[in-house]
Amino acid sequence: MAVEVRIPTVLRKFTEGRSSVELEPGTLADLIEQLESQYPGLRGQLRDDSGQLHRFVNVYVNDEDARYLDKLETKVSEGDAVSLLPSVAGGS
Amino acid sequence: MSDAKASPGVSLTRSQTEQMIAHCEAGRPNEACGLLAAKDGDIVKVFPMRNVSASPVRYELDPTEQFAVYKALEENDWELGGVFHSHTRTAAYPSPTDIRLASEDVPYLIVSLAEQPPAIRAFRIVKASWADTTGTVEEIPVVVVG
Repeated sequence: MAVEVRIPTVLRKFTEGRSSVELEPGTLADLIEQLESQYPGLRGQLRDDSGQLHRFVNVYVNDEDARYLDKLETKVSEGDAVSLLPSVAGGS
Repeated sequence: MSDAKASPGVSLTRSQTEQMIAHCEAGRPNEACGLLAAKDGDIVKVFPMRNVSASPVRYELDPTEQFAVYKALEENDWELGGVFHSHTRTAAYPSPTDIRLASEDVPYLIVSLAEQPPAIRAFRIVKASWADTTGTVEEIPVVVVG
């Protein structure tokens, strides 16, 4: 059983419209590299120039916010689900 | 978000607009925010949500609450129909901050409490990527039915 990565609508133009992608277990950083090799351009949507997760993306491993786990070093195991959520914000 | 399609508009019931306005009024003096669920293009549910910025000039959804709503969308076979927030003292038009931080490829609805009765307008904020800080704004009609 692989890891399921759920892709938000706004990023599906990179994944040929797929709403989820199955990847091999590893750290979140590993998973992002797998995404990049299958769907070039996705890494730049998820990591900033310093290599950290972009501030406008929230990553959940199962029901846990990765920022409160080990961030990019969070281990993702077989059967886990990873959800990518855009941060929704603005102001007047 | 460069794939934004020409939108036919956002169709809301009067009750849904009242629910959005009530949430925005209750949030004063801070901005208020929430999400809209859609089914086959029609708005079916309003999710009033917490503004973690707790500011009169900024809003940000609570990511945990947002995650729960996205799961509810999936469980109910709904799609994300829109994002709404209030402008407490300015017009219902996207601010530079709204454009800079726009991330979802759905209509952004703005409720202006500076007008009485409050005005609701909807926009698509079209950006090449969610990482872009600039974009173009296209107003789309808000249709109130029922």
